[in-house]
Amino acid sequence: MANQSSLTVPSTEQDDAVVLCPTGRVDGTNVTILQGAVRERLEAGQVRLVFDMVDLHYISSAGLRVLLMAARDLQAQGGKAVFCNLSEQIRQVFEITGFDKILAVHGNREDALAAL
Amino acid sequence: MTTPAKILVVDDEEDLELLMRQRFRRQVRRGEYELHFAHNGREALDVLAEIPDIRLVLSDINMPVMDGLTLLSQLKEIEANVSAVVVSAYGDMANIRTAMNRGAFDFVTKPIDFNDLQVTVEKTLRHIQVLEDALASRDRLVALRQELVVASQVQTSVLPAALPVTEHFDVQAEMIPAREIGGDFYDFFSVDEYRMGLVIADVSDKGIPAALFTMVSRALLKAAARNHESPSACLYEVNQLVSQDNDACMFVTLFYAVLDLRDGHLRYCNGGHNPPRLICQGAVQEVPSSDDIALGIFMEHEFHDNELVLGVGDALFLYTDGITEACNASEEEFGEERLDELLARRADAAIPDLIAEVVVAVEEFAGGVAQFDDMTCLALRMNSNKPA
Repeated sequence: MANQSSLTVPSTEQDDAVVLCPTGRVDGTNVTILQGAVRERLEAGQVRLVFDMVDLHYISSAGLRVLLMAARDLQAQGGKAVFCNLSEQIRQVFEITGFDKILAVHGNREDALAAL
Repeated sequence: MTTPAKILVVDDEEDLELLMRQRFRRQVRRGEYELHFAHNGREALDVLAEIPDIRLVLSDINMPVMDGLTLLSQLKEIEANVSAVVVSAYGDMANIRTAMNRGAFDFVTKPIDFNDLQVTVEKTLRHIQVLEDALASRDRLVALRQELVVASQVQTSVLPAALPVTEHFDVQAEMIPAREIGGDFYDFFSVDEYRMGLVIADVSDKGIPAALFTMVSRALLKAAARNHESPSACLYEVNQLVSQDNDACMFVTLFYAVLDLRDGHLRYCNGGHNPPRLICQGAVQEVPSSDDIALGIFMEHEFHDNELVLGVGDALFLYTDGITEACNASEEEFGEERLDELLARRADAAIPDLIAEVVVAVEEFAGGVAQFDDMTCLALRMNSNKPA
């Protein structure tokens, strides 16, 4: 099996929301890192999340599953997840799988924050 | 530790027992330690035989009947699951070295400094805990690997073992799981006398949960194919079923087509899967489809049928993203361009050769870099129409 590929999830708080910036690539070997970052916010009662994907090069289906789960969990807590700054490749993955119809995707961070 | 650590103290000096009980009384009272005593190596072996789960032996070296160094050898011989700490005269390097060679974990010197002894005992107990945890996870790992092997056999056994052979078409498929058990599948079955069902799919994530989801999706689709002529109706039904109570948010991208062998008419529905390729007179193009979505993510979605005609000599190539997203050492992807170029260059190749060449090209590109994702591809060429 390949080595765990690199993923970090730095975050900032902005306008009463939390912006998570998954950085690197998300795949089956490191998806728990992303999952953990979301769970941490949920447990802290922070349910308005922006996923700024500007530094994300790749996301596998395992990663998409975590995003979907995050959106669903946040909604259940009265919150919301919005996504922005998708790379061309990730936008394509969203389009092919239909995730762009299920998740709230915006062009940039300002629009994403405004849509929260 | 919830249960007391059982410690056996081996020394011929009678008053050591008193001293030890005195110095470790708090730990004993709190249920952290349980002390046992023996006065020579022989007695120590008897105590070990009698009382289970003693993990730490603290032993003097010079004792009557059986000395500490002999005891160490004996412990090794009977493969006792204990760690030993020896107590030796200050500066007695020869004995200490012998003791370490015989498997002692650590030593303390006489006259005993009880603070030092306590630190050593605690360190040794921690070491024992680490060892036991490692053993436990090794056992779990062995069990898990075994499960994976079995699950992998089950999964491979449900792929169509032999693809149908007829004069009217050639078909070949290959699946290379990234781990022992994969999340891709393909299928190929007769819908009726004239029509064949063709499936390729990729389940989110890998491993056992994904494999279970894979098996369920595959079975549901095959069942739906018997109930509905329209591929979109089949996907709608499967989507309804897999979306219910889907707390884990598992999903599957799935392309399902029904090929009518009488006229090459292909009716298909693409549930969020990479568009297959149509190879027609040396040219490669994407098989266009409506904007449908992966199964499992939105229960209310209405799926759509699309149609095309597969002329005699035309071929279809279906694949999962493990092919195009295979990475080489510089983290470059194989990509759709390389795939399309290969398909165009080998447009006339026999179907089994085409599949083999795609697999070889991807593997050569990856250059031995282990892949994260399963790779699956399936190709079919229409050779002649079946008389109605």
